[in-house]
Amino acid sequence: MPQASQSARPERQGYVLLAPALIVYLLFAVYPMIDVVRMSFSSWNGLSPGANFVGLANYRAIFTQDPVFWGALRNTIWWTALAVTLPNLVSFGLALALNQNIPGKSGLRVVFYLPVIIASIAVATIWKWMYDPFFGLFNNLLMQFGLDGWILDWLGDRKVALWSVFVAHLWQSVGFSMVLFLAGLQGVSATLVEAARIDGAGRWGVFRYVTLPALKPTLMVVFVLSLINSLKAFDIVYGMTGGGPAQSTQMLAMWAYTQSMQLGVFGRGAAVSVVLLLITLVIVLPYIRWMFRREEMSR
Amino acid sequence: MASVDISGVKKAYGAVAVMHGVDIPIRDGEFVILVGPSGCGKSTLLRMVAGLETVTGGEIAIDGRRVNDLEPKDRDIAMVFQNYALYPQMTVAQNMGFALELAGRSKAEIKAEVEKAAEILSLTALLDRKPAQLSGGQRQRVAMGRAIVRHPKVFLFDEPLSNLDAKLRVKMRAEIKALHQRLKSTIIYVTHDQIEAMTMADKIVVMKDGRVEQIGTPLELYDNPANLFVATFMGSPAMNILPAIVQDATVLVAGVATLPIVAEAAPGTKIAYGIRPDEIAIDPASPVKAEVIVVEPTGSETHVTARLAEHEITLVSKARLTLAPGDAIGLSFSPDKHQLFDAATGNRLAAAG
Repeated sequence: MPQASQSARPERQGYVLLAPALIVYLLFAVYPMIDVVRMSFSSWNGLSPGANFVGLANYRAIFTQDPVFWGALRNTIWWTALAVTLPNLVSFGLALALNQNIPGKSGLRVVFYLPVIIASIAVATIWKWMYDPFFGLFNNLLMQFGLDGWILDWLGDRKVALWSVFVAHLWQSVGFSMVLFLAGLQGVSATLVEAARIDGAGRWGVFRYVTLPALKPTLMVVFVLSLINSLKAFDIVYGMTGGGPAQSTQMLAMWAYTQSMQLGVFGRGAAVSVVLLLITLVIVLPYIRWMFRREEMSR
Repeated sequence: MASVDISGVKKAYGAVAVMHGVDIPIRDGEFVILVGPSGCGKSTLLRMVAGLETVTGGEIAIDGRRVNDLEPKDRDIAMVFQNYALYPQMTVAQNMGFALELAGRSKAEIKAEVEKAAEILSLTALLDRKPAQLSGGQRQRVAMGRAIVRHPKVFLFDEPLSNLDAKLRVKMRAEIKALHQRLKSTIIYVTHDQIEAMTMADKIVVMKDGRVEQIGTPLELYDNPANLFVATFMGSPAMNILPAIVQDATVLVAGVATLPIVAEAAPGTKIAYGIRPDEIAIDPASPVKAEVIVVEPTGSETHVTARLAEHEITLVSKARLTLAPGDAIGLSFSPDKHQLFDAATGNRLAAAG
């Protein structure tokens, strides 16, 4: 009997230690997620004591009447497609370069990682200055080099605003993936590289048959993390353009916020959130399954 | 298959010299083992032959062609690594055929070569497995198969058996030796295990601190070590070394023996007297008395460590001994089986007359 109670104790200890985190997560992550679904079927202005059940009216509204929703969805998709490719390619290149024995590489790693630790709202402010049509760095540089024809109102032009914001996002996010890639590159076996060289592989062969396969798990993690991050893109856009001009940089996450918090139509805001949630789940669930399978296989 | 000539090879990392001019001639088809303690430079030398390390000075030639500045892939060598270094995402067959694939050989040709090598190494049933699904010994065989399919001029082995358990190591030792006899290829093999060196090599190169101490066949090194280092490194248990001194016309080994004088040794010269453990016998009648410290039966023989005056000596007996620590035993030393070394230089002294 004393043996049984002893073996039960570590388990109970585990639950006790988990409890605070579990409560916080249930309260602030799971409950809101369920509540937002409930809210998306009701009509509430944020002030009245009760909400009315309205069925699918909110969804009908955002899909058929909302002038901004489809633009925000299109922007989110474009943003996501670019954000999982371009910054990660740059990060990968930087990681490969900084993994070589070059002088000053530790300093360079810090430099490239620095933007990651800056608050998005500060990044937004910095880039807003640089993009300023009259006093900003970019237009002044263009003028100095005599490229006056290239001068643009970077954040004020509907056609380029989204891409201007994206460049700032790229600058901010490159360091994060770079660190993940660098960690992955540390795991590439030096002997395997040598074996490949003896087998007759050149630089490309070593990369293709040794480095890349070893980085597969890292690539997957980087891909999914940047996917999730770009789907919920909010802060940097909010800080730089607030969705303008003329909703040309509007995103789903920001539109959900704007509807609920600024326009006071919580039901529609919730419906937009649910759409975003579903898109995220469809993409992320296969990844979570893949991770579990990998864990099982490694056992 | 080819000869390998290592002449005056030096290696330095910046200002730190780690190899100080090494000369090793290797004949076509010879099985040469580089042996020595950790940090003696044996692996560095092998990696220089492979082209994985640059050569600071001297020359390495394979089949008469200087290879110092050639890429590893252009040297016509194959290497087997200690940790096998198999490509985890490839099957056994793909691993073995990889070099041929890179060389642009046809699929049929690759398949034939891989199957032939798999046959030799009894890997045929495993060709579709991934390395993760193989045992250590099987992985080691795949690594060897990867080398065989290329028909290289020289095989390089870098401590290939170190990660295997004792039983498997003995088995693989025999397999590698059989493989060499079958392929008649030139092999350079690095190990820190002198038993591996003794049992497999045609020729052993004993290295220490970036220098060659002695080159010879296993029995030459065992019977005629050039110096104290080789004498104590080769053979297990190691040779016993006792301090001695030249007196008048004899060499006096404290409490053990008085021996005929050694050529060109002035009276008073300090000398190291070496005798192998199997040349010492337990002899109750002997006036040389020692106290047993440890008794280690191995089954076929018994190793006894005993204290003789202030020295510890080890002897090996074929007989089953019923000894306990603390027992007093008499020891007799085989006459003429000892070796004498200059205590100052460590070099071997030839016995006179």
